[in-house]
Amino acid sequence: MGTISIEHGDRLFWLGRYAERVFSTLKALEDLYDNSIDSRPKCYTDFLAKFGLADTYGSAKIFFDSFIFDKENVNSVAASLERAYDNGIVLREEISTEALSFLQLAFDTLEKAQKSAKGLRLSLLPLEDILFGFWGCVSEYVYDYEIRTIIFCGKSVERLDLELRFKSDFGKVQHEFERLCRHLRNVPKNSPYRYNTGQLCRLVEILGSEEDYLKLSDKAITSLGKLFEAEKIPVGVNV
Amino acid sequence: MKTAELNKELYSSPVGNAEEINELLRRYGVKFGIYKNGIFKEQLFPFDPIPRIITHDDFTDMEKGLVQRVDALNKFLFDIYHDKNIIKDGVIPENFVYISSGYLPQCEGITPPNNIYSHISGIDLVQSKDGDWYILEDNLRIPSGASYPLIARELTRVASPAAFSSNSIVDNRNYAKLLKDTMDYSNCGGINAILTPGRYNAAYFEHSYLAELTNSVLVQNDELFVEDNVLYHKTYTGGKTKVGALYRRISDDYLDPLTFEPQSLIGIPNLMEAYRSGNVAIINAPGNGVADDKGIYYFVPKMIEYYLGEKPVLKNAPTYLPFYEEDKEYVLKNLDRLVIKDVAEAGGYGVIFGSELSDEKLENMRQTIINEPRRFIAQEVIDFLDLPILDDGRQVMRKADLRAFVLSGEQTKVWASGLTRFSRNPDSFVVNSSQGGGFKDTWVLSR
Repeated sequence: MGTISIEHGDRLFWLGRYAERVFSTLKALEDLYDNSIDSRPKCYTDFLAKFGLADTYGSAKIFFDSFIFDKENVNSVAASLERAYDNGIVLREEISTEALSFLQLAFDTLEKAQKSAKGLRLSLLPLEDILFGFWGCVSEYVYDYEIRTIIFCGKSVERLDLELRFKSDFGKVQHEFERLCRHLRNVPKNSPYRYNTGQLCRLVEILGSEEDYLKLSDKAITSLGKLFEAEKIPVGVNV
Repeated sequence: MKTAELNKELYSSPVGNAEEINELLRRYGVKFGIYKNGIFKEQLFPFDPIPRIITHDDFTDMEKGLVQRVDALNKFLFDIYHDKNIIKDGVIPENFVYISSGYLPQCEGITPPNNIYSHISGIDLVQSKDGDWYILEDNLRIPSGASYPLIARELTRVASPAAFSSNSIVDNRNYAKLLKDTMDYSNCGGINAILTPGRYNAAYFEHSYLAELTNSVLVQNDELFVEDNVLYHKTYTGGKTKVGALYRRISDDYLDPLTFEPQSLIGIPNLMEAYRSGNVAIINAPGNGVADDKGIYYFVPKMIEYYLGEKPVLKNAPTYLPFYEEDKEYVLKNLDRLVIKDVAEAGGYGVIFGSELSDEKLENMRQTIINEPRRFIAQEVIDFLDLPILDDGRQVMRKADLRAFVLSGEQTKVWASGLTRFSRNPDSFVVNSSQGGGFKDTWVLSR
């Protein structure tokens, strides 16, 4: 390849984000579903609360149908998959036909799961396999290091964002943050995915200890959202 | 052995299960876009598992004829945009060239790298029942379709490996290499790029698939710019990379708003200046439309004799030009059994079968031809060989054509395969995908 345009760079980043969002949302919803089948039928309201959303669903069944299959629900697995596909379809020469085919397969599998008479989790299991296949394909077939770095930056930002919103265990958050830092080190200077030093320092401070993480995770989410904002360079400073 | 003498059983055996192969085609995103009532829809290009088979002998003859034809057409294009000897020598009437909508005065005097205008030529042929091949039309602008048989072969080999071990079939998966070699040969220094109008173009799958296979950069116009007569690709780090060959998949009219259609939003300002300066190869060259005009088609056999001093190997379908009085008289007299083609139309549109017209419509057509004789050509209806297809599991015979791909680089080469399109409608001769046609794999036997 050797040359990436701004448009394609942007799409690579968002492909990483949306493909990860599909997987992380799916996993979170599967756990939630498991909780809902016996102990806490209304536990899905906790999930809604983490995103600042009100319960307009009324029942777990309606909630799960909407958050998994409804493309009109912007937070659903189906909507994220559609966005991942929309980004992927214009990146065939960067990510390979092989990797793209896993997104098409994911679509078809989600449709089948919706019509399936099997239990929800059982019908969604093949979708997890396919998403693992997608990431395996990206790792195996995307030879251009810069392209891979951008996709994985997107993936890592998305995963960390969700871990922070779900207030996951500190160990998991720390692990994901370290992974993000490894990807960031490989981003070339002048790239839109070159980190904003101030925001990265802020994240290092907050995620440096469990105590700060528990107190300041909202601020960490804000810094993560601004991680790729251009640096403000004071007038008169030579760079 | 000739194709017409092939063993009937081999000729009508499906390769694998149609459903399985179509499922694989879906998985790999082999779709084409179509607008219906202003809404964009992606749909599968229906694949039929019974391949068209071309014997080694038939292909060898066809190959000679196609190389000869494309070489002559390239010489014609050079001549028309330079010395115009073919006009001066009275082989083609002057106004036939200049009246053609494909003739672009803006291309006068421009010499493309290595004098190649048509790098990728899509030549449409049909085979008659007696086994002869006839050229139906030449497509020298942006012929599409090679990617479909290319990926179909890849997938049928997965679905039915036995078919390939028990038959001697030339491997057609070298198309990407042929295309890359063609681009490299004309490249003026820099990367190879494929210019697409974008995701909602009917042939977007092809653009992206060929970019992947040839290791080219797939670009839209806003990712490119011209500076000091050099075409560059903007990179995400704020840099620029020189483009040496641009395989454009947009029409001439929209290529450069400063030279052609000023309202084009998908073109690149000053691209023609970069091209004129010899800093980028445009593949295929702008202005090729003058040579694949349906009216100019009539003269291609004469071009072959004029430029190459050879007899044409492949025949044109018997064609009449109402522009000539003698032909006009014949066409008006036999209108009810001829096929009339509007030279300005493409994609199967503007094709009228006289036998299907009512008396009133025939009369209207006669008047239109009298008023605008240059607008039409008329051809004899060739009784062409129908091919077997599977329709709901039942084998039926349908009309089919073959688009052969000829690539012009250091040498002119014919891809040992092609796009066989068929009509799904039993009463139709129209095979275009945009009008509901399907496609088959095309096997060329190696011995």
